[in-house]
Order: sequence, then structure tokens, then C-alpha cells
Amino acid sequence: MTIEQLRGQFPILGEKVYGRPLVYLDNAATSQRPLSVVEKWEQITLKSNANLHRAVHKLAADATAEYEGARQAAADFIGAGDAHEIVFTSGATAAINLVAFCFGEAFIKAGDKIIVSEEEHHSNIVPWQMMAQRKGAVLKVLPVDDNGQLRVDMLDDMLSDGKVRLLSVAHISNVLGIVNPVEEIIAKCHKYGCAVLVDGAQGIVHQKVDVTAMGCDFYAFSGHKLYAAPGTGVLYAKKEWLDAFPPYMGGGEMIETVRWTGTTFAKAPHKFEAGTQNISGTPTLVPAFEIATRMREQSIDSEAVAVKDFVYEALKGNPLVRLFGCPDRPEDKIPLFSFCVDGVHHEDLALILDKMGFAVRSGQMCAEPLMDRFGVTGMLRASFAPYNTMEEAQMFINALDKAVKMLR
Amino acid sequence: MTLEEKKLQVVEDFSMYDEWLDKYEYLIEQGKNLEPFPEESKTEDKLIKGCQSRVWLDCEMKDGKLWFKADSDAIITKGIISLLIDVYSGRTPQEIANDDFAFLDQIGLKENLSPTRAGGLASMVETIKAKAAEAAAEPKAEAEAEAEVLSAADVKELAPLYENVVLALKQVYDPEIPVNIYDLGLIYEININKEHRAYIKMTFTAPNCPMADMVISEAKTSVEDVPGITGCDIDLVFEPAWSQDMMTDEAKVTLGFDVDLDDSQA
Repeated sequence: MTIEQLRGQFPILGEKVYGRPLVYLDNAATSQRPLSVVEKWEQITLKSNANLHRAVHKLAADATAEYEGARQAAADFIGAGDAHEIVFTSGATAAINLVAFCFGEAFIKAGDKIIVSEEEHHSNIVPWQMMAQRKGAVLKVLPVDDNGQLRVDMLDDMLSDGKVRLLSVAHISNVLGIVNPVEEIIAKCHKYGCAVLVDGAQGIVHQKVDVTAMGCDFYAFSGHKLYAAPGTGVLYAKKEWLDAFPPYMGGGEMIETVRWTGTTFAKAPHKFEAGTQNISGTPTLVPAFEIATRMREQSIDSEAVAVKDFVYEALKGNPLVRLFGCPDRPEDKIPLFSFCVDGVHHEDLALILDKMGFAVRSGQMCAEPLMDRFGVTGMLRASFAPYNTMEEAQMFINALDKAVKMLR
Repeated sequence: MTLEEKKLQVVEDFSMYDEWLDKYEYLIEQGKNLEPFPEESKTEDKLIKGCQSRVWLDCEMKDGKLWFKADSDAIITKGIISLLIDVYSGRTPQEIANDDFAFLDQIGLKENLSPTRAGGLASMVETIKAKAAEAAAEPKAEAEAEAEVLSAADVKELAPLYENVVLALKQVYDPEIPVNIYDLGLIYEININKEHRAYIKMTFTAPNCPMADMVISEAKTSVEDVPGITGCDIDLVFEPAWSQDMMTDEAKVTLGFDVDLDDSQA
């Protein structure tokens, strides 16, 4: 597949904004949708829309087959041994909240510890704060160094008292764009009996994930950042955890029998899928996985790497730019660049770039503690997807120069 | 320049630029014209919530009008707040509170700004309105604080001043009504303090009176011209609302209203 063919799958990339060609560089916030995803959504909505699992009629059987087919596809995509280890959620946030609640109820008592890293998205901080408060547990923070790399060297000390029950860490930070050494972290944690949740919201997009090889206890990601419909998400959890978890939300679908004397619950994963599910959305994960896989083909990937190297070098070479997240090994960097420009406010830059046709993100990027860590009120972020071309990358660097000149 | 004229001028200024980048250049220039905001005044309570960039806004009441000061760490935001200040500073709280801020739509500020920035603009407008509403409620308290104990000698000295201030107010007309503002019943209160500074509380027949600015400034000048008066502050109030009963009989006759004769003879 060529990059032009790939772009042809995403009609929105041909749109204009303010009369200029759109250059979409906010992929870390949400990606665009390919035709195949839209068509899957349309096919289910127009041809086989019915509620799942319960009814005996044809449409319900078709819809259920699509939905459960997506579960198997998700298990295959991330290398889970068993489709029963896949719980569908509305997104990564919902997946993390589910684990924070259920793990907290089942395994956390007063005085226990939870670790999150300093670079986490609010979605991977607040659920743990809420749980810690409820259960009287203590939340500890694994810091990052000045280059934005996790201080994994501090982990043994933090784990050594044996009180840490769970560590939750981003596979790739949505601000720093560095692939974290999750295997090493997991190995250390497991040595001390500490479970690990990997927030894969960005990781699933930029890495080939194999949860079995990685060894994580939980892996969470959203569909919408991976080209699928919004409102879709996946929680991978090892079967022994899911079986030990109490139910999360009560409602239809998650029960076995309901009597006034009490209710028995369905087995995992359905125990965690209360209420009507995202009937048309979740099956769009299947074409999304397909296109994500095709983007890893040599012809596309080599261009993506060239784009990343070009932007990385251009930003590093600009004396006015302070780039956050520069790993020791360049291959650990993904094409996600958060930076400040000396003497220019990130919001002004984003506004000018917007008028030039570039969609970039400015502000705290849902990671206020990390902004505090680096002593800034916000940053500008350009995040690339494999459908972004070298030409777009060059246009971006030129536009950035122009905008900076205008504002300084 | 009246508020309406000022808004028209801004809309015209903006219409000169077709390109949005040029409009931003214009805003950036506006931002540079802001008078400096002291660093020590950039406190949490002056920070406007709901903006991606930080915006500080402060205001003070002088001569019945609100004067704003502001700053921002982002230069386009600074331009926007500077534009707002340019339009709304030096207006009475009532004028601001009653304004619909619709000119912002006309220059395309609301629709063309990024979602977070549009939210920020809304927060700025809300804050300015809130300050105006607060100030509109305040003059009463201020006047009370100014109240002082007068001796018999003071009163004797002040009495002729009151008569002269009334005469001065009777010189002032709303250009559309052939009755002076005093006989029209627009003057609610006159206070003169020991320093011979006059405090006047007045109203208009309707809150959106287009000539309000002009009439107030004329009244102020007229009163300040009274020998012995050292200054004059005018507060515009709409509580209680003006009604025809507040006119003198003379005014009612001039304007062709029925006069209750029994009442007037009593």
C-alpha cells in the first residue's frame, strides 16, 4: 500500500479549513476514521441492528456475532490467549476506572500502596486517587527525569516494603511520546507481588502489542485513537483477575439470575458489561485493527519513520524550541512532539497555526502534574499518524517558523 | 464617544481585514497598547477562570463609571481583553450590565476562535458583566460611607448650595424632552458633603436611553460650575424605576399630562 492509497481511505484528510488544506496533527487526541470503519458502522446500523445476546431473532444473532467477533479480533490483535480476557468498555478511561474500582474493592486495604508515574494522563491518576481515598490506601508517584524518561532505577526502593499492590503506567505518555520500558517495570513489580496496569491509549497506536509476552496484568486502550468509532474501548485483564473481581456496574446482561433474595452474576467478561453495549461501534474495531496492521507494512512505516526523524531533528535544532521527551535511544521516541517556544504562548501558536490549516493541540494535555514538573503552564503538541506525509511535516515546520516570527 | 459609537467603530476596524491572520495581527497590536498591569496585582482573585491562557482583570469605580485594567500571558488573548476594555472602560455599570455584547459576533470573534478560546472569551465577558452588576449595587454603600454628621452651622452653610445645585440641574435637558431633568423627576438624591462635593443619584426614563452619557456629563459640568461646589459625582440608578408620577406638576402640564388639581392645591 502506498501512502496515497492509505490517505484515500481517510476522506477527511482531503478537507479544507479556512480555505487551506487541512493538516491534521492532533492524532494523539483522536485519530481520523477510515471508510472501512464508517462502512462497518453503517452496515450494522442499517442491516443488523439489534440488542445483543438475549433475543433469538436473526438480527440479534448477526449483531451478537459481529460484537463477539470483535472480541476475538481484539484478543488476536494484542496477543491475549483467550477472548474471555477482553472486556469492552467505552474507552481507556472507563477501562482504568473499572480496574481501579474492582481491584480496590477486592484487594486493597488501609495502608496499602498504589504507584502511578509522574507522566500520567489525568485518566490514569484520578481513578487511583478516588480508590485510594475510599480504601485508605496511599498513592505514590514514580518520577520522570529531565529528559522525560521514567526513573525505573527508583522502582526497587519504592517496591521493597512489599506494600505496593498495583502500579499503573502509560505504555507511551501522551505528552512525552516516549515508549516506556514496560517489560522491565512489570518484571520488577511482579518480583514484589505488585500487579501492573499498562495504559495503552497511545501505545496501542504506535507499538505492536503482545500482552502475553509483555506480561502485564491489565492493558487498557481506546478505539477512537486507533481509527475505530468513538465510545469504544478495550480492557485486557488476565483471567484470574477478572474471575476474582466483584462486578462493577449492575444492570442487564451482566447477570445470571435476578431474584428479590439476591442476584447471581454472569461470568467474565459479560459480568463487566452491564447495559446495552456499543452495538454498532465496537465491531468497528475489526476494520480498525486491519488498517492499523496495514500501516505497519514497510512501505508506510518507512515514510512514518522518516517523518518522525525529520520533525524531531528540526525541533531539536531550533534554538527557540524547548522539546519535552527526548529519550536516550531515538527509537524510543514516537512521532509525538510537545514543546514550548521561547517568548511565545502555546495557545497563541495553536491559534495562528489553526488559521494556517494545522490542527495541533495546546494546553496541559490532561497532564497537569507533568506541566508542574517541567514548570510550564502548557505546551504545544503536534502528533503524527502514519497517514501524515513528509510534505505535511515540512509545511508544519515552515508554518511554525512563520507563526513564531509573527508572535515574537 | 458613546458605547454604541465605539462598538460601531470596532466593527468597522475589523471589517477592513479579510484575512484572519490580519485580524490576529490587529489584535496583537491592540494587546501591545494595554497599559501595564502591576505584577503584584496578578493575584488569584483577579484571574478569570475558563481560559486556556491566564487572564487577570481588575476594575475600579470612578465618577460613577467603571475603569478596567487587564493582562494576559498570551498575546492574542491580551488583544481580545484589550479590545473589550477599550469598548467598556469608562462606561457606567448600568450601560455594561444592559449591553448584549453582540458586536463580538459581528466581528466574528466568537465563531472564529478555537473552542477553548471562545470559552475564554465568554468567561471574560461574564466577568466584565459580573463586575458591572457588582458595581451597580455598590454606590448605595459608598454614599452611606460618605455620609457624615453635619452641625447646624454646616447646614446653614450648605443650604444655599443645595438651592444652587437644583438650579444648575434645572439647566439640563434631555434633548428629546422639553422639560429639564429636575422637573422631570430624574434626580433622586442630592448630597453635599463638608468639602462641598456634590453626590447626585439620578435615573433615566428608560434604561436604554441613548443620550444618557451626554446628559450625565452635562449635569456634572453644570453642577461643578456652581460657585462653592468643589466637584460632582453622579450615580446612575434604575431602582426605583422612573414613572410619570415623579414629574412636577409644571412638567406634567408642559408635556400635556392630566394634573390632579386637588392634590396640587393641598
